[in-house]
Amino acid sequence: MRLFVELARRSFAQTLAYRGATLAGIFTNGVFGVMIASVFLALYQSQGGGGEAVQGWTRDQTITLVWINQSMLMTVYLWGWWEVTRNIQSGAIVTELLKPYDYFTYWLSRDLGRALAHFLIRGIPTFLIGVIVFDLLAPASWLRGTAFLVSVAMAVVVSFCLRFLANLAGFWVLDYRGVAAMFTAVINVLSGMLAPLAFLPDPIRIAANALPFRAVIMTPNEIYLGQIPVLEGLGFQATWIVLLVFGCRWLMAQGERRLVVQGG
Amino acid sequence: MGNLTELGSDIRVALRIAALRLRGQMQYRSSFAMQIVGNFIVNFAEIIVLWSLFQHFEDLGGWTLEDVIFLHGLSMVMFSLGDTVANGVQTVPDLIREGNFDRTLVRPMSSYIQAMVNEVSLRHFGLLGQGILLLGIGMATVATDWTLPKIAYMAVVILSGMALFAAVFTIEAIISFWTVNSIEAVNALTYGGSDLGQYPLHIFRQGLRFLFLWVIPVGFMTYYPSLYFLDKPDPLGLPQAAQFAAPVAAIAFCVVIGRCWSFAIRHYRSTGS
Repeated sequence: MRLFVELARRSFAQTLAYRGATLAGIFTNGVFGVMIASVFLALYQSQGGGGEAVQGWTRDQTITLVWINQSMLMTVYLWGWWEVTRNIQSGAIVTELLKPYDYFTYWLSRDLGRALAHFLIRGIPTFLIGVIVFDLLAPASWLRGTAFLVSVAMAVVVSFCLRFLANLAGFWVLDYRGVAAMFTAVINVLSGMLAPLAFLPDPIRIAANALPFRAVIMTPNEIYLGQIPVLEGLGFQATWIVLLVFGCRWLMAQGERRLVVQGG
Repeated sequence: MGNLTELGSDIRVALRIAALRLRGQMQYRSSFAMQIVGNFIVNFAEIIVLWSLFQHFEDLGGWTLEDVIFLHGLSMVMFSLGDTVANGVQTVPDLIREGNFDRTLVRPMSSYIQAMVNEVSLRHFGLLGQGILLLGIGMATVATDWTLPKIAYMAVVILSGMALFAAVFTIEAIISFWTVNSIEAVNALTYGGSDLGQYPLHIFRQGLRFLFLWVIPVGFMTYYPSLYFLDKPDPLGLPQAAQFAAPVAAIAFCVVIGRCWSFAIRHYRSTGS
């Protein structure tokens, strides 16, 4: 356990180190936040000034979701993490697996440290830009505000498991770029990253509501905005965490059995 | 850059190198196909969401789904072409970090052209295909007559937009001569510019409109020509000439970026190892 705490701490410090990149990233998230929020404002404008809810979402709720999403983007780190696949491809995975700690927990600890750092230096500042530029809603209650933070932490774990699973595809396919693109497309739509799931056509929406992608983006939003009972949201995330951790371990075992490194 | 004959021979050599790089890529056929398909899927997902939104909302700043699809197609086509042209330029930050840029300075050829062909990849052709598809669907469904002048001007607009986006990608390379840490901010201009170009400009706030019209003239490549193509009024009230300003704005922007590039090269100090 001490090892994993230390790993998380190191990864936290490492993430904090790139100050120029942090400022640049906040700027980028801010610009995209303003752009996406403007598109939704214009859409609501067409609905007679935007006073009424559409599919159960008021204008202010949707705008708040846009900014929560932009702020959570780096914390849940959905795009561009393919370290395990690269490990598999280079063959380094063999020595990694020989080391006296659990491979899955090793990466999870590092990811949690990174996520906390990104939450502090990327998430909070980006959300503040949203608060300054737009009228964002406060959490529906104090309880929900606190539950939101718990939910974000759980979202990181779900996101990590999904990424880990996608990475393990490297055991079976040699080129991960196709997998990466597919993964990004699915995540963008089914997590609620681009728009609240309620706006999707029925069959996709119903499926998305049950799938784990929702637990990464949508559930924290729903808890913050008071769209679902707190326990229902956290329970949904917890269920998926249990299933996904088992899934990761099972697939990892399958992959290890297939592993052939440079003719060995 | 020397005289015109020199430029001509530079371009001939560059085309040879580009052809070789493409041939190299084609050796990995399945990987290449995967990238193009993947590139297509990511953007296709976004179109599904756009379509879904229009099932619940009437219009976007007075523009219909068909209008917005047309605008998406136009912006995607010019962006993916510009991205493809500037593929190599996007590797300049890496070249500098690794100290490999220096060798382009001692070769008897423009360093910009050398950078351009440092990497030539057709990976963004998935996006181009999708852009062409959307542009086609848009053109077929919008309520406008496609006259010959409109088609001819569209070709000019696409070329201008391609040059503009290639130049915007060059900003990243220019900044990297001083710092390689903050270049993520340029994403807001490249990808942000292309995303913004996919929506009618008047729905955005003053600050963004100013940035993407008068600093990075994306609006003159996508929005203003589209007002002409789709016979739409201009809520921002610029003179009608704005609708035909695409080539002028693109050339002006490229000249400024070209100057910045030369300035950066003159002040470049290697990483020194």
